[in-house]
Amino acid sequence: MPLSPGLVGDLQRILGPEGLVLSHEGRLVYECDMHTFYKGAPDAVALPSTTAEVVAIVRLCREARVPIVPRGSGTGLIGGAMAPSGGVMVGLNRMNRILEVDLPNRCATVQPGLINLSLTKAVEARGWFFAPDPSSQMVSSIGGNVSTNAGGPHCLKYGITSNHVLGLELVTGRGELVTLGGKVADHPGYDLTGVAVGSEGTFGLVTAITVRLVHVAQAVKTILASFADLEDASEAVSAIIAAGIVPAALEMLDELMIRAINEGTGAGYPKDAAAVLLIELDGPAEEVEAQGERAARICWERGALEVRVAQDAAERALLWKGRKEAAGAVGRLAPTYLLQDAVVPRSKLPAIMRELGAIGARHGVQIANVFHAGDGNLHPLILYDDRNPDELERAKAANEELLHACIAMGGTVTGEHGVGLDKAKNLPLQYGDADLNFMYRLRGVFDPQRLMNPKKLLPAHPACGEGWRPPRPRLPEGAWI
Amino acid sequence: MSAVTGTVGSALAAIVGAPRVQEGEAAPASFALDGARPRWVVRPETLLHVSQVLGLAWDAGLAVVPRGSGSAQELGAPPARVDILLDLRGLDQVLEYNPDDLTVTVQAGVTAAALAARLGARRQFLPLDPPGAEARTLGGMAATNASGPLRLRYGTLRDLLLGVRFVQADGVTTWGGARVVKSVSGYDVPKLMVGALGSLGVLGELTLRLHPLPDAEQTWLVPCRDVATAQELVLRLLDSTLQPSRVELLNAPALAVCGAPRSAAAIAVSIGTAEAAVKAQGEALGGLARAVGSAAARPAEGFWARYAAALAPEESVRLGVATLASKVAETVGEIERAVAASLSGAAPTIGGSAPLGSLRVSLPPAEPASVKAIVERLRAAVAPAGGSVTVQRAPRGVRLAVDPWGPVEPSAFALMRALKEEFDARRVLNPGRFVGGL
Repeated sequence: MPLSPGLVGDLQRILGPEGLVLSHEGRLVYECDMHTFYKGAPDAVALPSTTAEVVAIVRLCREARVPIVPRGSGTGLIGGAMAPSGGVMVGLNRMNRILEVDLPNRCATVQPGLINLSLTKAVEARGWFFAPDPSSQMVSSIGGNVSTNAGGPHCLKYGITSNHVLGLELVTGRGELVTLGGKVADHPGYDLTGVAVGSEGTFGLVTAITVRLVHVAQAVKTILASFADLEDASEAVSAIIAAGIVPAALEMLDELMIRAINEGTGAGYPKDAAAVLLIELDGPAEEVEAQGERAARICWERGALEVRVAQDAAERALLWKGRKEAAGAVGRLAPTYLLQDAVVPRSKLPAIMRELGAIGARHGVQIANVFHAGDGNLHPLILYDDRNPDELERAKAANEELLHACIAMGGTVTGEHGVGLDKAKNLPLQYGDADLNFMYRLRGVFDPQRLMNPKKLLPAHPACGEGWRPPRPRLPEGAWI
Repeated sequence: MSAVTGTVGSALAAIVGAPRVQEGEAAPASFALDGARPRWVVRPETLLHVSQVLGLAWDAGLAVVPRGSGSAQELGAPPARVDILLDLRGLDQVLEYNPDDLTVTVQAGVTAAALAARLGARRQFLPLDPPGAEARTLGGMAATNASGPLRLRYGTLRDLLLGVRFVQADGVTTWGGARVVKSVSGYDVPKLMVGALGSLGVLGELTLRLHPLPDAEQTWLVPCRDVATAQELVLRLLDSTLQPSRVELLNAPALAVCGAPRSAAAIAVSIGTAEAAVKAQGEALGGLARAVGSAAARPAEGFWARYAAALAPEESVRLGVATLASKVAETVGEIERAVAASLSGAAPTIGGSAPLGSLRVSLPPAEPASVKAIVERLRAAVAPAGGSVTVQRAPRGVRLAVDPWGPVEPSAFALMRALKEEFDARRVLNPGRFVGGL
């Protein structure tokens, strides 16, 4: 439904002619995020420069009962920053300033449109960094990271985005500007900051974020271990974790992925390997030394073909090069792919890798793997040719089967990408009716009209319907009063 | 429910069995809350019991107060009503320990000591060390977001709680979060339950992230000529590559209680890592200490146990003061002056995580009006930086005289009130005790 002329006029008056995109071509740029499967262009794109403008946009849209969809850099992987119900998309890229860096208190306050890596760049000369490091960190915005509760390779040791957010300024779906948490720890009351991180824009629009900064470690050691057998590599990962080693990152690549990377980037991973582990340790020099030796020994014990330790920063960068360019290199294998983000308990890694092979074979699809093995966060890329509808159907079937397998092993449907439009339908695999209903009601507290990023995160499900309540406990006989 | 067929007492007995219900005077006096005896003390054996008791309470409009070890009964405002006291210590099973995943799922009544006993054999631990942790239940520590010095390195339950099964006010059993160490599937419901004092749900089961015990660990004490020097040392330490597990600041009275050598203030630091790294980091700490004109020394064995005891003396009024790390020295000075002014020269015991600006203060027993004056003065002092002052433990009179939580940012409080209204409209769960009388 197109926007009313009154609303368009009001938005233009607030944002100026450059601040509102209305043209068809202009809006098409915003019809999807990196999950190009899901398309839905907004009726208008608002580009605010100030918090006051964001508040005004939300209030106007609320009055007109028009959906509001937030967007950062549009690098999400879940169909989050697109508008399936139309409405007004709010692009927050213009709000990209660092408001404060406070190193004595180990924190910074930034606007949501700031690019993730820009924050680290601003403080690294002084020995500090912002820990969440999604592969998109050169382009993704911190607001987007907060919205999806993004992770990254080094989250194994440092935790995901929510572990680093101290406070938020949020314009809720009620149209109120709310300050949650802040630089000082221990705010009395409910941890609304914690629950707002990862709410994918369904609670409101974040206009400022206070994050924890982390001091760089004394030493870093990067080890590449290659294996002739995928199973051995998976067992090595489980053994490293079980041995009490907490690497900064522990990444795994399988044969198909190694081939694509070698052809695409010249990273020079061992050609005959069925699996490569990239192990990075950081911390006090002697700790890194001791744990590095232990990790290498575990790899040899599990039958590693080779264990290579980067001797300097240049070699470390080379070992990481292939991993970082993996997504691009996959293009050499197939025109397109479905990317999964499920998690299994890390001791189940050998089992799920076996299962993955079986699922691929059953559906006749190729699956390449490059993932955060240390926390059991899988990223299988299910390859298909989009010109072949049958292949797409088989890829989808394999994808669903894989999710079921991960849940059956006690896992979760998304470890760091988020739910969005893509996985909303999968939440009932993991949550019961009462659990979904609790989340539905929780969202309603922040956004009673349910205009914020509709159709995302929560599934279309009876338990996510107005007035629905789970069954109350049955009381035994004699317990009625 | 249909016809009236019995009393609340017999209904509760039908749910949990008669031996698990104590009515009125039959319940031990220790279950009294701020002098008010619960009408019934119920000791559920299963989560289903909890669910049914809450179902009954919701229908009958009864107030339910969940209780673990009872160590935090003087936290928060005095309860508006106490009908049913839910003694959760019977939920004491470790349900699933997965050492290779470093996760464990426990019932809420499991104590930290009982869990530690299970984890020790695999050299793993739950890094949670508030004063008296051993005897406290994990559910109670989650509900109160209790933490200790180790939070500097490992975070609080906010970071350690992966999944939670809880019972809503109307008796519906609900799960939030995940059983794996990394998940962003759906809202992060566990965060909402940590520190909520059971006011949105009674915690039944917790899935927790564990950590490997470090190979070696050592503690140093660095005496400082004044608190400002101690703060300076902390800021230098944070801007270095040292990787401490604990960095606590102690004022002179706290040092005295710990049996440490006399000085105006000190920093206690522990480092846990590979043996060679502990040694090297200890030397680096020594260098930092010398740079501020001090020296790092090893305290007598058992320092952290003495420290925990020093921060939580019996018969004291305890405050939590949250400030910025860069304002710790200033805040300590203000606390000492405020206490001296209101309590005729008395000296508070102060200790806390200096890098996090999270201080614990204990005062000798005092009149409510005096405590009120201290708390209000401190609130005014820390408010500009966004800090807070909470009364962590005090007699009822004190907590009636001064709001134990203090003011909450009004826009955030409006959301908190709406949350309580949504999930507990009948005010069944711990009514009146949480922020703003929720």
